[in-house]
Amino acid sequence: MKLSPHNLFMSAMFGGRRGPRPPAGNPTSIACHGLMERAGVTFPEAHLNPNAMAELALAGHEVLGFDTVMPEYSVVQEAAALGARIDWGDRDKMPDVREFPNADLSDITVPSDLLEKPSCRVVLEALSILRRHVGGRVAIIGKVMGPWTMSYHMAGTQNFLLAVGMGETAKVTKMLRQLMPITVAFINAQFAAGADIVVLADHATRNLVGPYHYEQYLLPLHQEIASQVGGPIILHVCGNCSDRLELFASSGIDAYHFEWQVDSREAVRRIGDQISLVGNVNNPQTLLQGTPEDVYKQARYAIEAGVHLIGPECAIPLSTPIENLQAIVEAAREGY
Amino acid sequence: MGHHLEAIKNAVIRGKHAEIETLVQSAIEAGLDPDRIINEALIPAMDVVGKDFGSGKIFVPEMLVSAVTMKAGVDIVKPLLAGGQRHSSGTVIMATVRGDLHDIGKNLVTMMLEGAGFKVIDLGVDLDVDKLIEHVKAIRPDILGLSALLTTTMPEIQNVIGELKAQGLRDKIKVMVGGAPVDRAFAEKIGADGYGADAAKAVELARVLIQKKG
Repeated sequence: MKLSPHNLFMSAMFGGRRGPRPPAGNPTSIACHGLMERAGVTFPEAHLNPNAMAELALAGHEVLGFDTVMPEYSVVQEAAALGARIDWGDRDKMPDVREFPNADLSDITVPSDLLEKPSCRVVLEALSILRRHVGGRVAIIGKVMGPWTMSYHMAGTQNFLLAVGMGETAKVTKMLRQLMPITVAFINAQFAAGADIVVLADHATRNLVGPYHYEQYLLPLHQEIASQVGGPIILHVCGNCSDRLELFASSGIDAYHFEWQVDSREAVRRIGDQISLVGNVNNPQTLLQGTPEDVYKQARYAIEAGVHLIGPECAIPLSTPIENLQAIVEAAREGY
Repeated sequence: MGHHLEAIKNAVIRGKHAEIETLVQSAIEAGLDPDRIINEALIPAMDVVGKDFGSGKIFVPEMLVSAVTMKAGVDIVKPLLAGGQRHSSGTVIMATVRGDLHDIGKNLVTMMLEGAGFKVIDLGVDLDVDKLIEHVKAIRPDILGLSALLTTTMPEIQNVIGELKAQGLRDKIKVMVGGAPVDRAFAEKIGADGYGADAAKAVELARVLIQKKG
């Protein structure tokens, strides 16, 4: 096997040939102030302009040495295309939804040209730019929100979860079913645009909902999504999800991107033979507040535990020191 | 009398929001002291809900429904209390910090604190440091509760505490912090007075902070 970043990453995605070292990858954003300065682009530009978006993603490979490029830094591209009012933030602030169009869990109106809306178009164009620049050499990762996360954005998290708690099953299921085709269409469009892998981010996290909620409402939809898309999928659900690892592994996805709160040894032992694991260097304590040595140690712990692809656990804080991100790459380059 | 209290308590624990009004009304009609309905049914019920949440038996959807149920109960009882007022356990300002629009944790803490008798001024989400300081000066709360859900917004809590110090307000109020990425070590590092791992712990913490404040 040629030991390119692309091949190392793709092989590890499927638990294949290992080569001399594990790949370092980022299924979620590694944009931070230091990287923005090095790339010469900033927020909100990098959410809205395909060249700026691709430029910042490339810096993850060229400046930091990650084996991946991932050009989507926000979680609101789909919600914006669906008509939710978005605050695109600034250099110090990630974008977020300002007003929820379906606070009463009313019917979602899906525009027929959804993928042509600027917030979707920009991601597809950035992926194509990356394909032209590093295709086949570096693993190109896309990212799409699942129906659960989109429900948070369209109805508001509290309204949506209250409906779940009130047992309004028909309303909840209808909303998820109306949103699911968007996930499938955007994933497939990202593959067509040049992504090697797409992250399915769907925040059915233990901080909010139980494994029984996931099993009842979302697992069947994830299985359908997995069967309808044309490429490998990394599921991203943050928080401590130790209580639902097997459910994720049975959803038909190829890898799970997980947090430090889930012990990597336990994750590998329980589901590492069924799907690949990506992660799980801690963000708030280690990457943000720790030293490069702290990061290095955690990354090595994950590697030695058998985590297939090494990276931060979730989108990193914008003030994360660039040296701490480089320490992840250094730990990976040390080899197995 | 005991069966009325037990029924109200169970309704809150099990999130029987459609039944709470009838249950509280019949307890009042049976001559039950409104204070007892609050102190012996509604508050203990939320303590159970908080514990169940902390142990992973229930999650946010169930907790939200219980909180809504409790609030409906309190709203019926409140006008009947002596002077139409509950004895206030203390005044708390609650907010999420700049850049953070995620308010579910903050809202749960607010509901739990109100249930436990605190006067809560909920400033909402995405509060600039200056705005927060302005409100602290105007309201002079006992406690300022700050929440951040995102690792991207967590550092903003530190900025608020820094500004409180700069303006000579820090020793006049207690600051409690929370949110998914926040932990005790972070709270200590930035000089907060306490950290609540979940909504129930935040209420316990608020009670302790008020005692300390004397």
